[in-house]
Amino acid sequence: MTAAKQRPPIPFSSKQLERKPEDRRAGAPFQVGDIEAFETLYREQAPRIFSLACRMAGSTEDGEDLLQEIFLQAHRKLGGFKGESAIGTWLYRLALNHCLDYVRSRQVKMRKVTDTLDAAGSFEPLARHDTPITRLDLDRALERLPDGCREAFVLHDIEGYDHKEVGRMLGIAEGTSKSQVFKARLKLRGLLGKS
Amino acid sequence: MHPNEDTLNAYADATLDPGERAEVERHLGACAACRSLVEDLRAIVNAASTLEFRDPPVRAWARIERAIELETANDGPAKAGHHRWRWLAAAAVLVTAVGLTIGRSQFRSTMTERPTASAGGPATAAPDAAASGANADVLESEMRQAEQHYEKAIKGLEQIAKDDQGALDGRTAATLQKNLAVIDQAIGESRAAVRSQPASEPAQQSLIENFKTKLSLLEDTVALINEMRKGNEAGAARIVSDLKTKGD
Repeated sequence: MTAAKQRPPIPFSSKQLERKPEDRRAGAPFQVGDIEAFETLYREQAPRIFSLACRMAGSTEDGEDLLQEIFLQAHRKLGGFKGESAIGTWLYRLALNHCLDYVRSRQVKMRKVTDTLDAAGSFEPLARHDTPITRLDLDRALERLPDGCREAFVLHDIEGYDHKEVGRMLGIAEGTSKSQVFKARLKLRGLLGKS
Repeated sequence: MHPNEDTLNAYADATLDPGERAEVERHLGACAACRSLVEDLRAIVNAASTLEFRDPPVRAWARIERAIELETANDGPAKAGHHRWRWLAAAAVLVTAVGLTIGRSQFRSTMTERPTASAGGPATAAPDAAASGANADVLESEMRQAEQHYEKAIKGLEQIAKDDQGALDGRTAATLQKNLAVIDQAIGESRAAVRSQPASEPAQQSLIENFKTKLSLLEDTVALINEMRKGNEAGAARIVSDLKTKGD
């Protein structure tokens, strides 16, 4: 929790804003206690939040737990939403912070090194060489990336943050973000049967 | 000489200045290996940037809604019109969440902190053996704790599903019962394996996975009952469809 408070505000890249789903409640305060309205918000935003959570956590199961925690937290904090930004933006920021807290707490708990895949040797490719990369292939391969380079890849290549922003969010140097993203791309190349 | 990884990465991202880009392109014209790497990197970057969103499972909203109801109930007086089964369901979700969290974290911490068999070498063999024995005891104790949490969560959900099964049509109820019986058998087998080999990681993981499967099915059952009680046919249809997909 302390880490979350100390973290600087999360910037929003142009790519992330472009890819957001329709935000029908932009700028409007949310009625606290209106469960139907909250369900509507869930239906609109859940795929985006669930995707972020699964990819940051590296598993669908943990992604589902995170999704539940994020929406519960959002429900608790709705009273503090003043409509200064689109509610989708507010929710995305909350979700990203929650995912980053999860990633950090897991790193502390598991003391997991980021180079486990290097030591693990070769992997069975998920797709044949020269076949197009499908969403399913990429999502499956993402789950097999080591912690550290997966989060950097998700934030940079999927969510669209630049290396400086990724470094700030993950508490690593900009150069480390670059090398982690490159490492993730190389691993994915192997996993997707591209090498 | 090949460009370094930073340069190739930046080239794939199209963030090199014109001079550097021209230099890389000259190299790529003569180096098939680097050309192939850059093409693949670009394909991955392109696929990642256009990756679609994923739909959460249909039960996810039901879980969130019930947890919100539970929180609301704890913060203030219960609202009129809430049925007993809804409170039970909300309580069961909390029990489930606690059980899953404890089981998962204990299991993971034990797995990651366990020393390797060869660590320390012959000179420290005795302390290692002692540590290994103590660790096995801890592992077994944690496994039993995780089991108890899962069993508690399952019991709560089973009671709800049993009490309110009348809300389901006969065919759906029979199918759910059949599936639960299959999972119960799997739990029995993996539990027996854990009892005979308490230190076996595959046996432990199999038992935990079977518990999770049963919890998931019971959660879906309660969510389905919830939707049927609310008269939400679309919600119920989504859950039944999801159940069928899982059963295939």
